[in-house]
Amino acid sequence: MIQNLVDGVLVGSILSLGAIGLTMAMHMLRFANFSHAELLSIGAYAALVFDGLFGAIHPALAKAILPLSLTWSLSLALLLSMALTGLSAVVIDKLVFKRVRAKGGELSMVFASFGVAMIIRNFLGLIFGLNPKLYSQDIVFAIVVSRDPFLLIKPDQVFTLVAALLIMFILHLVLSRTTFGHSLRAVAENPTLAQVSGINLSRMIVLIWLIGGGLAAAAGVFYGLTNQISPVLGRDLVLPIFAATIVGGIGSIYGAVLGGFLVGLASNLALVILPSGYSPAVPFLIILAVLILRPHGLFGEERT
Amino acid sequence: MIGVISYLVFFATVASILSIAVMGLNLQWGNTGLFNGGVVAFFGVGAYGTLILGGTPQAGQLGGFGLPYLLALFGGMVCAGIVAWIVGLLTIRLRHDYLAIATFGVAVAFETVMRNTDALGGAQGIRGFERPLRETLGNGFTYNLAFFAFVLILLIATYLFLERLIQSPFGRLLRAIREDEAAAQSLGKSPSRVRLTSFVAGSVIMGLAGGLYATFYAFISPQDVLPILTFQIWAMLIVGGAGNNKGAVMGTFLIWAAWTASGWALSRFAPLEVQLYTGSIQFVLIGFVIVGMLLWRPQGLFPEKLVVSQSARPNK
Amino acid sequence: MNGLKTSALALGLAAGFASLGTDAAAQDCTTKIGAVLPTSVDWGKPIAATAQYAVDIANETGGVAGCQIEMVLRDTQVDPKVGVDAAKALVDLDGVQLLLGAVSSGVSMPILTSVTVPAGVMQMSCCSSSTAFTRLAEEGKTNGLFYRTFATSGVQAAVGAMVARDAGYKSVAVFYKNDDWGQDIGGLVADDLKALGIDVTASIAINDGQASFRAEVTEALKGNPEAIYMALYPTEGTQVVREWISLGGTQNMIAANALKSDEFRDNVGMQFLGNFTGTDTASPRTDSADAFVAAYTAKFDGPPNGPGLANSYDATMIALMAMHAAGKDATGADIAAKIGAITDPNGTPVTADAAGFAKAKEVLDGGGTVSYQGATGNVQFDKNGDVSAPAVTWVFSESGIEEQKYLSLTEVNDFMASLN
Repeated sequence: MIQNLVDGVLVGSILSLGAIGLTMAMHMLRFANFSHAELLSIGAYAALVFDGLFGAIHPALAKAILPLSLTWSLSLALLLSMALTGLSAVVIDKLVFKRVRAKGGELSMVFASFGVAMIIRNFLGLIFGLNPKLYSQDIVFAIVVSRDPFLLIKPDQVFTLVAALLIMFILHLVLSRTTFGHSLRAVAENPTLAQVSGINLSRMIVLIWLIGGGLAAAAGVFYGLTNQISPVLGRDLVLPIFAATIVGGIGSIYGAVLGGFLVGLASNLALVILPSGYSPAVPFLIILAVLILRPHGLFGEERT
Repeated sequence: MIGVISYLVFFATVASILSIAVMGLNLQWGNTGLFNGGVVAFFGVGAYGTLILGGTPQAGQLGGFGLPYLLALFGGMVCAGIVAWIVGLLTIRLRHDYLAIATFGVAVAFETVMRNTDALGGAQGIRGFERPLRETLGNGFTYNLAFFAFVLILLIATYLFLERLIQSPFGRLLRAIREDEAAAQSLGKSPSRVRLTSFVAGSVIMGLAGGLYATFYAFISPQDVLPILTFQIWAMLIVGGAGNNKGAVMGTFLIWAAWTASGWALSRFAPLEVQLYTGSIQFVLIGFVIVGMLLWRPQGLFPEKLVVSQSARPNK
Repeated sequence: MNGLKTSALALGLAAGFASLGTDAAAQDCTTKIGAVLPTSVDWGKPIAATAQYAVDIANETGGVAGCQIEMVLRDTQVDPKVGVDAAKALVDLDGVQLLLGAVSSGVSMPILTSVTVPAGVMQMSCCSSSTAFTRLAEEGKTNGLFYRTFATSGVQAAVGAMVARDAGYKSVAVFYKNDDWGQDIGGLVADDLKALGIDVTASIAINDGQASFRAEVTEALKGNPEAIYMALYPTEGTQVVREWISLGGTQNMIAANALKSDEFRDNVGMQFLGNFTGTDTASPRTDSADAFVAAYTAKFDGPPNGPGLANSYDATMIALMAMHAAGKDATGADIAAKIGAITDPNGTPVTADAAGFAKAKEVLDGGGTVSYQGATGNVQFDKNGDVSAPAVTWVFSESGIEEQKYLSLTEVNDFMASLN
């Protein structure tokens, strides 16, 4: 039981990172972006490529930072991948979403995101092959934290949790201390009013994609580090991330963080009650339960 | 030549069945503005319901009641309606994307239950269904032709029913609620009851399509009710034009033709070494078609003819 | 509509290997066969490549019934609608009389009921494992047109349980892929283990496309089993085993043949696979099996290890041999009727390579029957088109995959009977 709780938190941090970007974009641009999880795939594969490059440039970089399976080159690759994925999110917006926004309604956007997700996913499959890949083939053993109750923790997962919390903390500082953060909130609350008061809306949108893409890349790399990378990574994660976003309430960044942890916990605890065959349905049972009790999520506000 | 005709009849049957489901969605989205992300659940309930009610008994499985075919088909629709009513009661007041994701979840839960419940066929699915009149019509081209005629009649019936419905006061009410819920409410109408009615009616139509689909293959398994079908049905409606039943049917035929023809063309014209990648390439192409369509003509090929504002300039 | 067309074939191999053929002269016709396989999923693509490889081998020897074979491959996208449509197009538009596929039972079944049986086309599936096909055949609804080279899961489940007993494991946790194959074999192996007095601590379904299996693994760890049994594919198998080992789970592992993959071995690591035993249906004790493996390795830069590869190869080879036996312009029923002549236990043994194919044609042309010694064994179909086969256990080694123990058909059958 305690093991399930700890696992839930560790898995949840990845979902939280993914959900932050999704909730921002969904709130600002008012559409359910089904291609957001593909940014995680882009991030994971970009890091895989950079990791290989760095490792080839200097073999010392390919050494693992014990007790993690993370290497120096992957750490560097993570930073580059975050930047690259942020940029790709901006480019995708420029090429597709911005134009669709100008022409059609909310649903067109949702559909365009379906199309974009399909293109990205299968493109990655064509380039990298359909087989799963790993950053490191070593298996790092979990550490026994306590014997009674029995509790195991993997170093990589602890690192992922700490790194995710750190990233979220930096984001929190940015949002609460900078003009950008204030503008962002102003835009989120009332785009028209914010524009009147001199905030450049399109620049804000670019920033949101950059941040969302960067966080998604981090989530993708962390996922790859603790699981494996495959072209369908985005497809597998899109629903838990949506669940996290909705549970938290669309538009609430802190809600998204909490939602990620809640969904992670629930998926891990569900097996205590349900046979494992039913686990794909768990995120939805959470969504349904939350929506029935609180139609706008835990932290979301009503909007029309 | 007979081969080509035989294939076209087959293709048209599947496309017509899907058209019925797309029209059901059109009632929900096009006319009422309900974003149903779980189309496949109601389609699936109809399909499973029909086979369970109309099939022969199988060891360890629910059903095999062997009801007369039309009764089984109707029973499947009723099942779809009941499920839709329950789902609707829980979710109908949700906003667009929340509703979409909640209903999407219902569809995933439905698939999961079917996959894990042995009494409902489990992952192997449900078989043991005798296609009606197979004894008389044989199993070949004649049968397919007759079944196509049957589907076509139901397609036309559904079309006429929906056209009359949206011309009726109830149809005007649906559009009023879609356009301005508050205004409709202030006129003393109960939007949530009307939306629920539309949701159930649309789902029953999807259930009909599901029942026909299962009849045609005499088989249904969890693989038939994956989220991709919801996506396909939505793509058909978007391309055809939401709010317009003619568009819904045209969109279905076009998208299904494009979906199958792209596979055919790749298998025929792509070089041998590319053949193994056709799956991925096909999905990339489909993605581009959808995005391109939304960029080029977001209202669909056959947009809704708006009758709301009489003062607007005449249709071009 | 027998699809006999003259067209230049993309493969320039025919000429080079013409000496192997018996009727290499005047190769100016092409017979089309259809294949509906899920090329858009990771494990589907190699299955299709293997089928194409078998076709290439047949063409090397001068083709089938005097004609070169062109395999028209269509992707099913693992979507029954798409698969059925593709099959219908192949049958109606290309006029194929032989259809290879599909992989998933959920796709093969509607193809069978709504396309191949009504049209009288023979369908040969490499990998559909559902018992529903057996029942359909028993009811006489397949018209004898359906065959599959996938041995029923009973053999592997029983051998898996036997391995657990021989190793002296007292408790086993079972992981199974949550599809028709996995549910079937997972349930069977649990029953067999219990019949042997071994405790099954957990039976855990592993769902396709799930982001993390951490919770499932934790659940299985609770029972503290001495060993685990896995009916999984490499993708999720790797994920489950890596998680399992890193959490300190036992390295005593038993697995069905779907994990017979180098990808799995490399991604888990040899150091953890010392106590891993796999099961499979077996190749006969002949040199031909080695020859097939060697030829395959040369062609694909790796041995035929992966779910369904050997089955796909055998399915294609047997179907093509039957097609040859049935002669030019044969219908699906003609071809299906000749399957018995290919898998006749009393026939001339032929190997699973180009030489074997050439020899088979020679024997068949002379009116004889052959016993095809395939990649999955000397395949024999029962009256329902199902395969029974001898079994083998295997282990991973530094150099690849090595066979450990061979169990003849009698041994397998006796053991299975003892379980009931």
